[in-house]
Amino acid sequence: MTDGGMSGGIGFAAALAAWDAAAPAPARACGLKVADLLRGFHPDHRPGGMVQLVAGPNEGAPCPAQLAALLQSDSLLEDVDLAGATILDADVLVLGGGGAGCVAALAAARAGARVLMATKLRMGDGNTVMAEGGIQAAIGAEDSLQRHFEDTLRAGHFAADKALVAALVGDGPDAIRWLVREGMSFDLADERQRMGGALLRKKPGGATAARLLSYRDFTGLELMRALREAVLLQPGISVLDGHPALELLTDDRGRCGGAALQDLGQRRLVLARAGATIMATGGAGRLHLAGFPTSNHYGATADGLVLAYRAGARLREMDSFQFHPTGIAWPPHLEGTLISEAARSAGARLVNGRGERFVEELAPRDVVASAMLRELAEGRGVGRDGKLGLFLDTPSLEREQPGILAQRLQTLSHLAHRAGFDPAREPFLVRPTLHYQNGGMAIDTDGRSALPGLLAAGEVTGGLHGRNRMMGNALLELVVFGRRAGASAAADARQERPRNLGLNHLAGWRRGLLAAGLGLEAKGPLLFPPYGNVTPQDLRRHAA
Amino acid sequence: MSETEPAGTPLRLVFDGHALQARPGVSLLQAWIAAGLPLTENVGCMGQGVCGACRVLVRRPGERIAGTALACEMPAEEGMQVSFIDHFPARRPHAYDLSALTDSWSIPDQIDAVFPEAKHCRHCSGCDRACPKGIPVQRMVNLAAEGQVFAAAELFDACVMCNLCVAACPEHIDPAHLGQFTRRMHAALTLRPADLMQRLRQIEAGEQPIDLDAPGASPPVQT
Amino acid sequence: MKVLTDPALCVGADLAAWMARGGGEGLSRALAEPASIIPVLEAAGLRGLGGAGFPTHRKWSAVAAQPGPERWIICNGNEDEPGTFKDRFLLAETPHQVIEGALIAAVATGAAQVVLYVNPREAAGVLACHAAVAAWQAHPLAAAVSAAIGQALCLRVVESSGHYIGGEETGAVSSVMGGFPFPRLKPPFPFEQGVNDRPTLINNVETLAHVAHILRHGAAWYRALGLGDAAGTKLYSLSGDVLRPGLHELPMGTPLRELVFVHGGGMLAGKAFKAVFTGGPSNTLLTGADLDVALDFESVRARGSRLGTGAMIVVGEGTSILRKTAEYVAFFAANSCGQCPPCKIGTHQVSRILERLDTGAGRIGDLEALENLSHMLPGSGRCGLVDGAATVLASSLETFRAEYEAALPRG
Repeated sequence: MTDGGMSGGIGFAAALAAWDAAAPAPARACGLKVADLLRGFHPDHRPGGMVQLVAGPNEGAPCPAQLAALLQSDSLLEDVDLAGATILDADVLVLGGGGAGCVAALAAARAGARVLMATKLRMGDGNTVMAEGGIQAAIGAEDSLQRHFEDTLRAGHFAADKALVAALVGDGPDAIRWLVREGMSFDLADERQRMGGALLRKKPGGATAARLLSYRDFTGLELMRALREAVLLQPGISVLDGHPALELLTDDRGRCGGAALQDLGQRRLVLARAGATIMATGGAGRLHLAGFPTSNHYGATADGLVLAYRAGARLREMDSFQFHPTGIAWPPHLEGTLISEAARSAGARLVNGRGERFVEELAPRDVVASAMLRELAEGRGVGRDGKLGLFLDTPSLEREQPGILAQRLQTLSHLAHRAGFDPAREPFLVRPTLHYQNGGMAIDTDGRSALPGLLAAGEVTGGLHGRNRMMGNALLELVVFGRRAGASAAADARQERPRNLGLNHLAGWRRGLLAAGLGLEAKGPLLFPPYGNVTPQDLRRHAA
Repeated sequence: MSETEPAGTPLRLVFDGHALQARPGVSLLQAWIAAGLPLTENVGCMGQGVCGACRVLVRRPGERIAGTALACEMPAEEGMQVSFIDHFPARRPHAYDLSALTDSWSIPDQIDAVFPEAKHCRHCSGCDRACPKGIPVQRMVNLAAEGQVFAAAELFDACVMCNLCVAACPEHIDPAHLGQFTRRMHAALTLRPADLMQRLRQIEAGEQPIDLDAPGASPPVQT
Repeated sequence: MKVLTDPALCVGADLAAWMARGGGEGLSRALAEPASIIPVLEAAGLRGLGGAGFPTHRKWSAVAAQPGPERWIICNGNEDEPGTFKDRFLLAETPHQVIEGALIAAVATGAAQVVLYVNPREAAGVLACHAAVAAWQAHPLAAAVSAAIGQALCLRVVESSGHYIGGEETGAVSSVMGGFPFPRLKPPFPFEQGVNDRPTLINNVETLAHVAHILRHGAAWYRALGLGDAAGTKLYSLSGDVLRPGLHELPMGTPLRELVFVHGGGMLAGKAFKAVFTGGPSNTLLTGADLDVALDFESVRARGSRLGTGAMIVVGEGTSILRKTAEYVAFFAANSCGQCPPCKIGTHQVSRILERLDTGAGRIGDLEALENLSHMLPGSGRCGLVDGAATVLASSLETFRAEYEAALPRG
């Protein structure tokens, strides 16, 4: 897997010597306008990377080729497959067991719904648990909801839905209180003042105020631990691990009424029927768009987008992905693994093979990543064992703030240990890694999609981040919209129930594919990345 | 997932009954994948070591007693024998309602009521040995049983929910869940940041309006 | 011929009745000629009947040869494994022959601390032992034992914690010392460092019960009780798909076929014989091809299995080997003490896989995973619990693979 157009860079030993001689690294002017930098070097803009969708609600919209192939694929199921399938009934079906799915399930159950949560892997496994940096909420005296609102819009290049962003930032402080009530801890400015003190706030890239709340550098883990227990103990939620959705169920009027799940353990189909269905399946990093490594969880294969799109839900900004600046470039066995933005927030610099700083490290992620890709493309990267990257200068950070690596950047130190070096003495070799799907299912402020009966929350949705997400808005989004979608779903489930449930949407979908000249050979969703060595067809195979 | 590695002598190991070869430096999980074996469970964050999904039992050549590890973190070694371990959910939930826990004077009673097994710890240290993160699990259990909730909570800071201690505990104490109980109680009962409470008051009083049409909410006019 | 289970000897805690039926004779001979005790046991060929089959005289000699005045004897009556129900019978029905054997051991090894270590879940045995021990305290023979070893005899009952693992030698030592019965690594062996780190002789109830008879009737008499090269009688705990399950005292070396089809009355409902789980049930299964095997330590070992406690759980056509194996591994998983994660977690993992196979939820790759575990788990514990679980798993998987394969998902 290689991304084209990169030269060999500067050898590791020479680059290390240049870094050592120049530290702390002097800055070199960028010399390019932000717009030109993004156009020239951001992977979203690489020539030939996007194709136009030719079928479905977003016909004519640009989309990465790999994702388009999945979005415009045919179902794995036929009507006859539903015969004899096990049937489960619930008020609300939640697809996905990451942060958004757990919050939505809790909200729906507490609103009185009987909830069924189906997950592909295990409840709690997802990108949420891997989130390191933190969660944004405008709680500082100098900060305001308005500033959070404008920062989010600006970072997203004003492509976001203002009403959604207002809902996101407006619910922010209450989301933090909700998390504390669920038993999640946060770092304090002074750990002795648990009551009446102040939360520790950091400034995320692209923000005008210190607004990032965190729990050490494993905020997502702390959040997910509390949510996992909450879901396990919440009466009214049943969890089905190992049950990925293969298709949404629709009724004869097009309303979504649940999903067909594949029971991976018993290799059988389960029809989960529900008054409302919440899509919380997360992102698409494991598609390795443009050949990039990814920081994402194993299950991030865009399944929810594929199912929702096929059933008639509209998507937005499907051509916009976030590349996190600091994925590990070397050693190979950790390639793509994330080094939290907390390192740069704390003051760690990015340094090229010549020992120069080349970007303001706390600029928005798309800008930093593009600047890094430019360095790599123009031969100023650092080459080591065939891997190309740039230095993240942890030794200078430790020198300037002694003890910071051990105390505040534990995950980073742990990763360095596993990579076999001391981050206080040797810089990390990093390069951008595919991190987040900026776009997704279009929703309203209640979490409803355009398809009746189908709601969504979390990374699978679009409209909140425009064309670039700010650090700390993903965790916030999953709490805010998980709660909103859960409550809406519980209310919707009390409405009229779907009738004549089945795969009613597939006939029209297939006609559309054929009309667009696409054929029905390609099947989706993917479920597992290719190196999982198993296809959905393998999983569906039964005895003759 | 890159294929431009400098080739070393391949390592040989046995993983769930499959004899396979692996390049030096890869994790056990990467070795499984590279061998073309199907992976539909026991996998999650793939290297970050935070999700606890890829539990394995590992025995190195010459070792008598196998150890536990996370497959995404453990490098493959020559002659290893490896077995995936299923996720072991607790047998019965230790049920409690965090929001109903308002009387902090009753913490010791609450712990005893929800986790009555905790005081039966037989001090076998199996949980300590099973923890891939090196948490002193048994000490946490004992502290929690004595009502020293915050000390217990702190010890469980590095837990990744692999539940190996739950599988390892012969008294069904479910240490991972007890640890989370203490952590959640700690936060829910004592974390009351003034800045957050102040902002919530302002919002509830309508003092934090959001203007959708403010100048900063639209692209700056290009000149 | 019934020796241990002779109805005439089943006098419970009544010491006078025991003495009236020849009790005390063995102990008197031992007291008269202490130096001959161990040679007589050696000549008799008495072996440990708790499962290991270790020559009894060697254990006794080892303890006798240790320095220092403080020595212990533990009469191990913790019996708790599935399918074994012999010791509880002896302790409840005829405790005095066990105690007399233990006192002879005290004389032979110079141990003043004698403990009847009993399973509290066997209430009848516990009551009988307490009463029997009380009766011995004032008996002249007890005083004679004190005199012979030059220390005051301390004979008492200690109730175990009831955990299966408390039957393991080092677990029993820990339990007698008041701790949880955690097994520990050996060496040091209990004969060197047992209770209070002092030399400790640990013998199974059935083993000690034979001793008084051997001393009374002589080594030749005892040897002649067995068939072929085997000596004495054996209590076989017969259970499973036979017509007459129960405790059968038969000559050591009785053929399996005779045990099942003569003494056991044959297979239940005329079903074909399929296999036997032996003593533990932590050993390699015996199958139809083994029906001719003589049930003694050497002969069974020659078939690649072990006699174990003498428990024979018979499985007939129609009974699932997979189901039975799942039950036994679940027993081991539940009773693993927790000290060694590969034992606790490994047996749990095996148990889970067996359970899902048995309930129709098996997965592709489960058999390979089971085989892998059966290879990597042995040796992974301080005691032999995990080895036993791995052995019975490996054996059932090898011999009855078709049953396992039938439980796999097709496709």
